[in-house]
Order: sequence, then C-alpha cells, then structure tokens
Amino acid sequence: MLFLLIIMPLLAGVSVCLPVRKRFRIELLCGVSLIHAVVTAFFWKQLPAPEFNGYLVLDYLGLILLSINSVLFVAVSFYMLGYFEHEPRRNRIFTVCLFFLLSTVTLVSASYHMGLLWVAIETTTLFSAPLISFYRNQQTLEATWKYLLVCSVGIALALMGTFFMAIAAHDTQTLLLPTLLSNASTLSVNWLKLSVIFLLVGYGCKMGLAPTHSWKPEAYGQAPGMAVVLMAGGLTQCSFLALFRVAQICAKSGLADFYSSILIFSGVLSLIVPAIFILGERNIKRAFAYSSIEHMGILVLGLGLGGAGIFGALFHMINNALAKIVMFLTAGSIAQKYGSARLEDVRGVIRVYPVTGVFLILALLAGTGMFPFATFHSELMILNAAVSTQHFALAALGCLCLGVMFIGIGRIILEMVYGQTTEPVLAKKENLFMNSAIAAGALILIGIGVWMPAALTKVIQGAAGLIK
Amino acid sequence: MTIWIDAACILVVFFSLSILAAYRIGGMIQMFAVQSLVLSFMPVLMHSHALSLRDILLSLGTMVLKAVLVPYILFWAIRHVSMRSEVKPIIGIGSSIVCGALLIAGSFWVSSSVTFPGKIASDLVIPCSLATVLLGFMIMVTRTRAVTQVVGYLVMENGIFLFALSLFDAMPILIEMGILLDIFAAVFIMAIVVNHINEEFERSPAAVKRWSKMGESI
Repeated sequence: MLFLLIIMPLLAGVSVCLPVRKRFRIELLCGVSLIHAVVTAFFWKQLPAPEFNGYLVLDYLGLILLSINSVLFVAVSFYMLGYFEHEPRRNRIFTVCLFFLLSTVTLVSASYHMGLLWVAIETTTLFSAPLISFYRNQQTLEATWKYLLVCSVGIALALMGTFFMAIAAHDTQTLLLPTLLSNASTLSVNWLKLSVIFLLVGYGCKMGLAPTHSWKPEAYGQAPGMAVVLMAGGLTQCSFLALFRVAQICAKSGLADFYSSILIFSGVLSLIVPAIFILGERNIKRAFAYSSIEHMGILVLGLGLGGAGIFGALFHMINNALAKIVMFLTAGSIAQKYGSARLEDVRGVIRVYPVTGVFLILALLAGTGMFPFATFHSELMILNAAVSTQHFALAALGCLCLGVMFIGIGRIILEMVYGQTTEPVLAKKENLFMNSAIAAGALILIGIGVWMPAALTKVIQGAAGLIK
Repeated sequence: MTIWIDAACILVVFFSLSILAAYRIGGMIQMFAVQSLVLSFMPVLMHSHALSLRDILLSLGTMVLKAVLVPYILFWAIRHVSMRSEVKPIIGIGSSIVCGALLIAGSFWVSSSVTFPGKIASDLVIPCSLATVLLGFMIMVTRTRAVTQVVGYLVMENGIFLFALSLFDAMPILIEMGILLDIFAAVFIMAIVVNHINEEFERSPAAVKRWSKMGESI
C-alpha cells in the first residue's frame, strides 16, 4: 500500500509531461491529492504493514507528516485551479515537480532507514527548487540558486552525519531504525556525538534553523504562494522528522541531554534572529518567511525540552502546516492581484478585496499564535514545558520574541489591510477556489484549536511515545 | 592491493588541490572528471580479494555518472561563456594553495587522533577523504562563479564518497545508488539554473550589474 502511494504520484507526474491541456494537469493533481488524502485517512484507522524488509514503515510520527502533506497538497491543488485561471504561463514543469514532490514526501514519511531518509529528503530539495523560479527573472533565479546551494551543502553535511552514524553502528552493520534502537547501547558514543552534530546542522539547514536560514526569506519571497506553502508547511517538517528520528536514537543511547542542549540552543537562536529582522521588513512574504523560521525554532525547542514539549512540538507541526496554508496562500493571492507583495504597492486591501482582507487578518492571527487558532495551544504547551522544566529565562525569552514577532507582522498586515487604498495593478476578481482553500485551512485550524478529536490525541501521544 | 588504494587516495587529494589551483573553468571540470575516474576504481580496489557484483555496479555507476555525465552537463552549462572563463577567486591562487596544504595537514592531524571501529582498507582513506571535503568547501567559498561553486560542491561530495567506501556494508546497494543519482540530479538542476542565469545575462544589461555584485560575471 505504501509503495503504491509513493508510485501513484510519480506515474501521474510522468503522464503530465505529455502535451495536455494546462487545466487537465491541475485537475489531475486535485484527483491524485484527493486519492492520497483518502488513503492516508484510512491509515488513521489501521497503520499499514511494513514493506521492503522493513525499509518502508509508517509509524505514528510518519502518519502525522503524511497527513500534513496530504492536506497541504489538497489545499494547494484546489487553490491552483483558481490561480491558473489568471496565469498565462505554462505549468508543465511546475505540476510535474509537484507530483514528484508528493511522491518523495510520502517516501520521507515512510522511510525507516537513515540512508533512505537522506535520499528522500535530498530529492525533495531537488524537486522544490524549480518551483521557486516559476516566474523566471533575475530575483527568482538568485533565490533558486541560493536555495539550491545552501540546502545542497547542508544536506551533504547530513550525509556525512549519516555515514558517521554508520561508523557508530559498526557492530550492527545496518542503519535500519528498529535495529539501531534495539542495539543503541552498543553504538560508539564519540562517533554518535559527531554524527548528531552533523545531522543537526545538515537537516537544520534544510529546515531553515537560525544560523543557516539565509535562503528562507529569499526563496519564500520569490516563489509563488502555493509552492511556499508546500516548502514551509511540508518540506521543512520533513527535516524535522529526521531530527525527531535522531532524538529517538539519542534517547536510547544515553545522549538525550547532549542532544537536547544543542536543540535548545538552536531553537533559541531561531527565535531571536527572526525577531530582530522582522522589524525592518516591508514585504509580506518575506515577513512570513521570518515567521516560518520562528516556528521551526519553536518545533526544535519543544523537541529539546522533552516531556510535554514533545507533544507540543508534534501538535505544532500540524498547526504550523495549517497556518502556512492561510498565510502563504493569502500572500500568494495578494501577490497575484497586485503584482507585488511589498507594503508600498499593497494597501487598503479590505476596500478592494474584502474577503482577502479578512484572510490577511486571519493569517496574522493564525501565524502569530492567537486564540482560537490551534497554534496558540501548541505554543502555549511548549512554553509550559519550558516553565515546568525550570527553564524560566527561556520561557520569558520565548514570550518576548513571539511578542516582537506579533508586532512586526501586525504592523505590516494592518497597514496593508486598512491603509490608504492603492489600486491593484492587475485588478483581478476574487476567486472561489482560491478563497475556499484558504478558508478551509483556517476553519480546520480553529476547529482543532477549540476541540481536539480523540483520534488526534491518540496519534500524537503515540508519536511522542516513540522517544523513551 | 593496499599500495594501489594508497595511490588512489593520494591522487584524489592531488586533484582536489589542482582544482583549487586551476585558473580556467574548463580545466577545473576536466580535473574533476579525472578525480571521479580515479575514485570510481576504489570500490573494486577495496574489495579485490572477493569481488562482488555490487562493487562492479558501484564502480560503473560512479564512472558513468560522475566521470562522464556530470562533466558533460557542466560543459553544456558553460557552453556560451568560453570567452570569459576565468575562475575569479576571492583570494589568489598562490595563497589558495598554501591554505589548501594547511587543510590537508590539518586533516591528517585530526585523523591521527580518531579511532575507527573495525578494519579499514588503508590508513590513508580517512585523512584523504577529510582533506577532499575541506578542499571542496574551500573551492566553494573562495571561487565566486556559479559553475565553480558547483565544482566545489562536487569535490566535497567526492570526499564524502571516498569516506563512505570505507564503511561499505552499512548501506545496501540501492541506497548507495540513490545517493549517487541524487547528486547527479542535483548537478543537473544546478546546471539548468546556471544556464538560465546565463540566458538572463545575455538578455538584459541590468542583470550584469546585479550578478556581478554577487561575484557572477558570465
């Protein structure tokens, strides 16, 4: 079943290479994402059996990531139905990359071998790079180049880390996760430490953690909204899955404290750095990119704090993805309507496009973690975990950075929504498909903020229980 | 066989250093091709006592992908820019070589202090791979053209590959091949982007200013 789920989008991707209608490609993407989502929904009832000698296994953590990506792809594909009504450019490469991306993120969620995980994550980088330069001009090419180069080097370090782990696991002679976990006490501690550092730097680079975040504002600022949703909500969290796997190994082999301390350090850095840069920002997509760095910092911080923090981080993974739908799809439709995402060009949205104006406000609330959006709860859980583990300064710093973030993004969005009206350059109408995709994301986010289904709690607890 | 492995390791480091010292992009790519060719014999050399199908496959895969296809694609990416093919280093060639030599010395020094569980084919594998990774990094950082950064990335990958060969059994052949293919695909996409950058350059003079700020001057 897992194998079929990986292969299906791949075949669809190959088939849309043929000269077919533009609209058909997107309709096929909608169909494939819906099938993917339905199959994933069945996995919530019953996890699939392991395949390929245990190389492909879906556990609760993989299920969370798979469901996140499924939802993102459904939202994005329906949004694209509306987006491409006004878009004269050809979409062959764009859609082919999206299909392949769906296939590789499924592979990431299901891979149970550290080497296979690396291959899958590297492939997601490759298929996401062409998405950034959809509008081919100097700025997008520059952003694509930065993304490719920074992430490739980062991921090469992660490969190095994977090999170090193979040395540490010299006695077991395999990097299959269950074997590593059951033989964790025989791992060579020094090599494992080295491996953990390389893996954190490498996958952290792909995730956009603070010292290596430089590609993020560029790439998110230039890529079309729907591509950014998949990158910020899906791909970065694929790397988080890798960091989570490393945490599982560390917890078993007695390196939990070592790993937590570096996770907390990089988490704090990822909270502080965007809070500094956000204040001078005047482009909404770039501002959201800084917010995305902040969210990655929160995830890593939750994982580092352990205990209730892990539950919070896993819950935040889901909320972050849903919030990204609201934020970047809205930013994308603003960019399409005004031909720009800068504050100078976009003002008084509420008077010209009332629905999009409301979505911008929702994006502000969802992205900065306000009640009743579920991002509020997960951020609170992680701050709570910081307090209960006696990291009082950390909790205070977290509150401060989140506050600054709110002010920084609020300043831009409020002026965009209520400022002196500027006329949209391209003057397009509101689109039902685009707006319903955004509204659905916002509604689910409010829904799980107000009432958390028992099934969700069970799956998150199951995933958090993987670290012990 | 150890002597051949030693020789190959030293050749790999030697070619990394020559890439660092190269002045023309074409020369860099050619030297990278030779380095990959030397590297592609390593799986066979290391397991010459009990040669298996996977060693041969890995050798052939490396040879075809890294020593033939990747250089071919890189030459394709720079096909329009033969007139302006200087490397444009940030620090001079002479000082680059001195720094490179220091890096090699440093990696030997570091490797002498690590203990490696299990047996490896030759004592030179670890220091040489480390040196190649570091030299690759240095090429990436100190050479500013887009293509030269790709070459630096590839040299780094070659270093990692050499390292990976010493712990052959942990990775099944399919995953080794996946890694190779991924790197190949990465270069393929990078070459396309470089090509787009070049086209953008030829179209508008404004681009020249923008990219030369970044060091790119195709």
